Amino acid sequence: MARFLTPRILGRALPVVACGVLFLVPMLTDDRYLFKVLTFVGLNVIVIAGLALLFGFAGQISLGHAAFVGIGAYTCGYLTAARGVPWIVAVIAGTVLAGVGGFLLAIPSLRLKGHYLAMATLGFNEIMSVLFVELRPVTGGNDGLRGIPFASIGAWKIDTPAGNYLLVWGVAVVVLLLTANIIRTRPGRAMRALHGSELGALASGVDTGRLKTEVFALSAGIAGLAGALYASSVGFISPSTFSLEFSVLLIAMVVIGGAGSLAGPVAACALLTLLPYADALIPGLSKELIALIQDWEADISGFVMILVLLFAPGGLAALGRRLGGTSARGAGGVQ
Amino acid sequence: MNSAELLQFVASGLQNGAVYALVALGFTLVYASTGIINFAQGEFFMLGGMLAVAGVRAGLPLPFAALASVVLTASIGLLFERVALRPRRDSGPTVLIIITIGGSMVMKSLARHAFGPNELSLPPFSPGVPIVFAGASIDRQVLWIWGLTIVAVVALTFLYSKTKLGRAMRACSLSHDAARLMGIDTARVVMISFGLAAALGALGGVAVAPLTQTAFDVGSRAGLKGFAAAILGGLGNPIAAVVGGLVLGLLESLSVAFISSTYKDAISLVVLLAVLFLRPQGLLGKSRREKV
Amino acid sequence: MSLLSVRGISKRFGGLTAVDDVSFEVFEGTIKALIGPNGAGKSTLFNLLTGFERPDAGSVSFGGTALGGKRPHEVVRVGLARTFQNTQLFEEMTGAENVLVGMHPTMRTGFMAGALRLPSTRAEERDARERVGHLLRLVGADQYADTPAADVPHGVRRLLEIARALATSPRLLLLDEPAAGLNNAETRTLATCLRRIRDDGITILVVEHDMGLVMDVSEEIVVLDRGRKIAEGPPLLIQKDAAVIEAYLGEEAVYA
Repeated sequence: MARFLTPRILGRALPVVACGVLFLVPMLTDDRYLFKVLTFVGLNVIVIAGLALLFGFAGQISLGHAAFVGIGAYTCGYLTAARGVPWIVAVIAGTVLAGVGGFLLAIPSLRLKGHYLAMATLGFNEIMSVLFVELRPVTGGNDGLRGIPFASIGAWKIDTPAGNYLLVWGVAVVVLLLTANIIRTRPGRAMRALHGSELGALASGVDTGRLKTEVFALSAGIAGLAGALYASSVGFISPSTFSLEFSVLLIAMVVIGGAGSLAGPVAACALLTLLPYADALIPGLSKELIALIQDWEADISGFVMILVLLFAPGGLAALGRRLGGTSARGAGGVQ
Repeated sequence: MNSAELLQFVASGLQNGAVYALVALGFTLVYASTGIINFAQGEFFMLGGMLAVAGVRAGLPLPFAALASVVLTASIGLLFERVALRPRRDSGPTVLIIITIGGSMVMKSLARHAFGPNELSLPPFSPGVPIVFAGASIDRQVLWIWGLTIVAVVALTFLYSKTKLGRAMRACSLSHDAARLMGIDTARVVMISFGLAAALGALGGVAVAPLTQTAFDVGSRAGLKGFAAAILGGLGNPIAAVVGGLVLGLLESLSVAFISSTYKDAISLVVLLAVLFLRPQGLLGKSRREKV
Repeated sequence: MSLLSVRGISKRFGGLTAVDDVSFEVFEGTIKALIGPNGAGKSTLFNLLTGFERPDAGSVSFGGTALGGKRPHEVVRVGLARTFQNTQLFEEMTGAENVLVGMHPTMRTGFMAGALRLPSTRAEERDARERVGHLLRLVGADQYADTPAADVPHGVRRLLEIARALATSPRLLLLDEPAAGLNNAETRTLATCLRRIRDDGITILVVEHDMGLVMDVSEEIVVLDRGRKIAEGPPLLIQKDAAVIEAYLGEEAVYA
């Protein structure tokens, strides 16, 4: 029996088992807190799938992804709460608007590399943070937007925590599947080539400028989708959620998970998102311990990120491959 | 608007501008000797103010507290370079950027644990009523800011042009390999650049704390504005950093005077993006093409 | 028939003229070599031909169409593929994946089709992998198909780059010092490989320092010195050319 458990089969089976468990959860429990926490994980996983494409595979850093999540959230929240637009239309609008934002940011950024791209995207996130506060008629300013309705399609309202959890994770699984397919085919190879050597990619006929814009727009659009779902899941959004700190945390998730991998960043994302809510999964944890973890969350991610870069540049993905017994070489690492 | 009011705005612009210039100098020093942008530079500004407050609270006389804070922050800068950056110094820019980002997360968070989440204030260096000059009133602390900035710039210019260390730093900014061939210990130069950059940031933080108060989270804004100033002037050139800082400070304060204060913080961001996208070499920089 | 024709091309960097009014032709189905001492402007000329640098003067026409102003990825799509003096492989990708990237211009799958893995995508993917296997065998690098490029031995790295260039289905292959760092046996294999590529109907322009290889495979040679063309002709004539011998004086023994 054991000889069938090759890394390859494990690699295929694990995601399927994980999906199965995820969708079984609502049958096993009706713990609202647990659903809320797991919904957060699902939303972050969606953003991370897009950021892994852009940063982990194409090698283009973005410190502005929180702003794209914000664009999606405010678009969806404003359209549904203030304008009565159907939910599905609002979600699409949020996704598209964030994608267009990514496209517009990518065009002037094409010439920028490394530090400059990081600073430009960081500056973009800060500008959006100012706008989220100052565009009061749309965003509600510092008080945020309240009363955003739950997801609904026609007369069917998804208004229970379990329903919402299933919705978010359904979208997350689809996004992960599509992303994994992109990575394995022509556009994904071009992205990895761009990361490996831009000269080599150009000499192979890859239009690297166009590719960067496309990946940026796609990645921003995915972030916007997560934002739109976030708005309708939580019902309330405020500017501080979409701050630079969140962008940095997202980057930390990809780094800790391992560049050039999808499973690694998703695992890192789940771990880091669950960390402050560990009591949802592990009953018996004391309130004091949870408070302590929440207090030190930023230090933990910062420290772990530095430690990973210093001692385990391949991140969780390389660790997983080593445990799986396959060669850890050729497996990512931030370049 | 009368001339006294205008002068008031100019003075306030030059006050902020001098602080931006100090932070920008830190960016420029590190960039010149390593080619990397230190995303933790703003946290040195924060540490400067916070450590000085802590010193005063611990009973140190203000001048000692200020000095100790600058020295301590400089040591933190040295240590950060030695422990977190040097082991990966041959990696690509992305790795180094992320390490400095991680460093800034940790410094900020540790500062919150050590000093609490609230705004703290530092007593003014020389208490007294503001000085009235041609109808504009200028706080005494502003004179300290200008004075300290001038001292820092003069000292830095002297260091750069007249000392052995300065020559080594300039050699490193041209080429590390060539510098090594000349017998320069490049690793030491890089570490010292980080220490100096941290000291400059801290000096800015200490000098402005009596006016604006300080808190654990003032670093990222200060870092962003300092970087905007550095790139506005032209990254890598100390004079340009000072010019960039002053110009940015004036732009901000004049925009408050003539437009509105709502978007004061956005001005530096817009300047940052405009310079990055349109003229990445800065106002004073020479155009440089990237070679294939 | 002339496939590539270079007319009066020049490039200056600051005060230095790297390529100075160079003209020559490359005929379809031949192997032409570009030689000259270090710093003669060979790599710059390659960059000018492939769109990585813009010429200050002169023109390049390929199969009758002008290449002026085309960007590197567009040049590839017209049918000129190149390798680099410092190999530009994708280190984290396997040998086969490196060559698959070279199939990029001839494949069609975009983000949408890729994400959905449409039947057409799968078919295209299968065909591409088959062709990659063929190319790897052609250059003799098939045992490194599943090895990350970072772990491939030095000599094979150059072969992988040639296979990647071939994958773009070029009419003209530009090779920048393919024999650099190869031992004698590897160089002989390379020579065989180049002739096989030429026999497949692909024209080759090669910058090379290894005179043994140059004399062995090329039908015609262009000699550059300090940016200028100083001689052009078949190997036997070039070997006796006074200007060429003059230019190479001071370099190590070149005629092995």
